[in-house]
Amino acid sequence: MTDIYTAVVDVVHAPLNPPAALDFVSDPRFGGIATFIGRVRQHNLGRTVTGISYDLFEPLALRIFQSIGERARREVGGPMKLYIAHAKGDLRIGDLAVVIAAATPHRDEAFRACRLAIEAIKHEAPIWKQEHYVDGHSAWSEGCSLCEEHREAELAAVKRDGETRGHQH
Amino acid sequence: MKLRLTLFGALRDADPRGFIELDVPEHSTVAQVREALQHHVHRHAPAISPSLIQRSAFASEDEILHNHRHVPENGELAILPPVSGG
Repeated sequence: MTDIYTAVVDVVHAPLNPPAALDFVSDPRFGGIATFIGRVRQHNLGRTVTGISYDLFEPLALRIFQSIGERARREVGGPMKLYIAHAKGDLRIGDLAVVIAAATPHRDEAFRACRLAIEAIKHEAPIWKQEHYVDGHSAWSEGCSLCEEHREAELAAVKRDGETRGHQH
Repeated sequence: MKLRLTLFGALRDADPRGFIELDVPEHSTVAQVREALQHHVHRHAPAISPSLIQRSAFASEDEILHNHRHVPENGELAILPPVSGG
């Protein structure tokens, strides 16, 4: 499909490129473009972060990005172009971790497709984040289980407790 | 058959080579591989918690393989701890 672009970008070679995302989704049919850009932030859960490393299972990540794009297209139910790129490797504060752009005829579908894509990437894609702290320690983030039985339990807990507790990533 | 399990995220600490090799019977299910992996990690990487293995998924390059699925014929599996992208 030429209307869904997916990529894993090794930051050793190049940073993520938001203008390329806008170029890809731009189309005379589309009047709305929604973008999401995720950047490395300096604090997490009260600790000062100096950088993060992303580990990915690349072949499966690309397949899952594509299937997320197809789900977004079904959700939108009309023409759409979607760009999904995620960084791999060692990132510093302020570096770009993920870039998503969705374009559709009107803004509502663009916002919905963009939101669906970033939430699905966070919860479903085989990507792992290791944070490095100012005191020299490092830790892998807690994360979401991809096992069916654990997924159901975690999603039920989110539903019960809302997004305010235990599921803030 | 010999299985090669590729490690990611926090499970990379289980073996600095980035993979674990296990001998399992032909046509094993993912649930049986999980059990064999628990034993292996208990012996060789006790710092890895059993609950991390329990919450990890198994996958080929194409799809997540849930507990009832059989291991791929090529003997290649990835172990995916809970994910944290974005």
